[in-house]
Amino acid sequence: MSASLDKGISVLKEMIDAPIASYFSSCVHCGLCAEACLFYTETGDPKYTPIYKLEPLRRVYKQEYTLLGRLGKMLGLFKPVTDEELEEWKPLVYDSCTLCGRCSLVCPVGNDIVYMVRKLREGMAVSGHAPEGLIGASKRAVEIGSPMGVKLPAVKAQMKHVQQDTGIEIPLDVVGAEYMVLMSSMEIINFPEYLGAIARIMKQAGKSWTLCSEAFEATNSGIQIGVSDIAATLVQRIVDGAEKLKVKTVISPECGHAYTALRWEGPNLVGRAYSFEVLHILEVLDGFRNEGLLKTTGFEDELLTFHDPCQLVRRGGVLEQPRTLLKMVAKNYVEMSDPGKMNWCCGGGGGVSAIEEAEALRLTAFKVKKTQLEETGAKTLVTACANCRIVLEEGLEHYKMDIPVVGLTETIAKHLVEGASDEHQQR
Amino acid sequence: MNISNDNEFKAALGKLAGVRQRQIAARFAESVLALCTDHRLKTAIDSAKRADVTRDELAAAFQSAKAVSVDSYTQCGHDCNWNNQAVHFVAQAVLAALKPAEPGSSPAWDAAMHARMARTCERIANGDGTDNTEAAAQYRILTEFLKV
Repeated sequence: MSASLDKGISVLKEMIDAPIASYFSSCVHCGLCAEACLFYTETGDPKYTPIYKLEPLRRVYKQEYTLLGRLGKMLGLFKPVTDEELEEWKPLVYDSCTLCGRCSLVCPVGNDIVYMVRKLREGMAVSGHAPEGLIGASKRAVEIGSPMGVKLPAVKAQMKHVQQDTGIEIPLDVVGAEYMVLMSSMEIINFPEYLGAIARIMKQAGKSWTLCSEAFEATNSGIQIGVSDIAATLVQRIVDGAEKLKVKTVISPECGHAYTALRWEGPNLVGRAYSFEVLHILEVLDGFRNEGLLKTTGFEDELLTFHDPCQLVRRGGVLEQPRTLLKMVAKNYVEMSDPGKMNWCCGGGGGVSAIEEAEALRLTAFKVKKTQLEETGAKTLVTACANCRIVLEEGLEHYKMDIPVVGLTETIAKHLVEGASDEHQQR
Repeated sequence: MNISNDNEFKAALGKLAGVRQRQIAARFAESVLALCTDHRLKTAIDSAKRADVTRDELAAAFQSAKAVSVDSYTQCGHDCNWNNQAVHFVAQAVLAALKPAEPGSSPAWDAAMHARMARTCERIANGDGTDNTEAAAQYRILTEFLKV
């Protein structure tokens, strides 16, 4: 057994906690998780059955923590997990799992299969079987501060750009601001319009806000690759930045996993409660709407539909806010089939879009989204995750579907009543 | 009139009607076209500059530019190649020029901003900081354009 495999198996043993044991014990092999997974439904290949992707973890569980398994192992009836097997499983654990959580939701005995995949990824990463793309992203996130290699000068360049575009100064490192705005590298690199929308909305709402030079990045590669130490380091960076600036609320951007990583897992990762609140940008916007601080005018002409980012709707609980916000600017709105918490993943979550070798499979899996969109007849697709947005655009381009994809925050900003005052209509 | 700042620039652009908006937007994209070797963008810009271009030709040009734009996105988790990212913003500038106009939109201003982002990406890629003179170049382009 190689040193790294030895460590990986040790980690897998540590990862098998009471929930994992109960999940393996209670699986009734019904196959419902297969029908919930886009990689299975769009390929028909049984190896993409979610519970099957966990086979190495199940074998370690059985051999280490069950009586029959231990006996079998002693008698040489069960072979230990090998490096070759883990390498063989790499595409199943990473390339074909977006951690979307649909399988967990449909499991009739309540097995959180995503939780199990995350635990398996911990062992895979330690044993040297994580994809190169995710290893690179994690390394850059820790060393540079961004999984995509974005440094502060690039952020400042975008700030300057947005200031030119909007005429609004972008605050940086303002101590005592109410909100600290995080971005994903995707937004810094590809979508400057997000920051522009934030600037305009905050101005209208009359709220103080700031970016943080030491913690501008929201994403968490540690969650995706399956290394809790990295995940904790990245969360701690944000906590330190927020506490240094003494902000009340940290706003997670239009990114799915960044939100769940920071809001729902972060305190456990760093081992203490935060001194500030964490909200997704859509929660903040809906809060502004409730307070009468978000004033819009006019409606989108085209038929719109909304793609729910998995980590927001299924694992994050942000379900109603995007719909309430969309109603402010769209009369002509249609839901996809399986909307909300049962929505199908774009195919690029959970780090999959960072894995080059997963591209062909991802585009195959996109067929489910293609079908959903074709059923609606929508002319514009709105979403609230920069990664979803690019994966959707690539899928639509691949299948020659001419549907523009836009972010919800910028869509709201497009309809802002600039210089809003009381006489303007408020919806 | 010599345009020398963004206020004058924006005001002058705001006075241009649809076709002229498209034509000047295409010129802003053309100013950064050297950052991109994809011939589809040059063809699209040539279409956008023509006053007699047909609706079908514009739609075809838009589709070409859109394909370049999508191809040149930096995907989540990938190490950003700022030269490729410059191509993306050149494509975005072309798209701004070709996009069907919406009430209140300013295609030429949008194209100008994307072109500036493209130049910024080039500077980052070259390790030259982020400051650049694309805005000044756009002032000159617009000044000349308005003389015609």
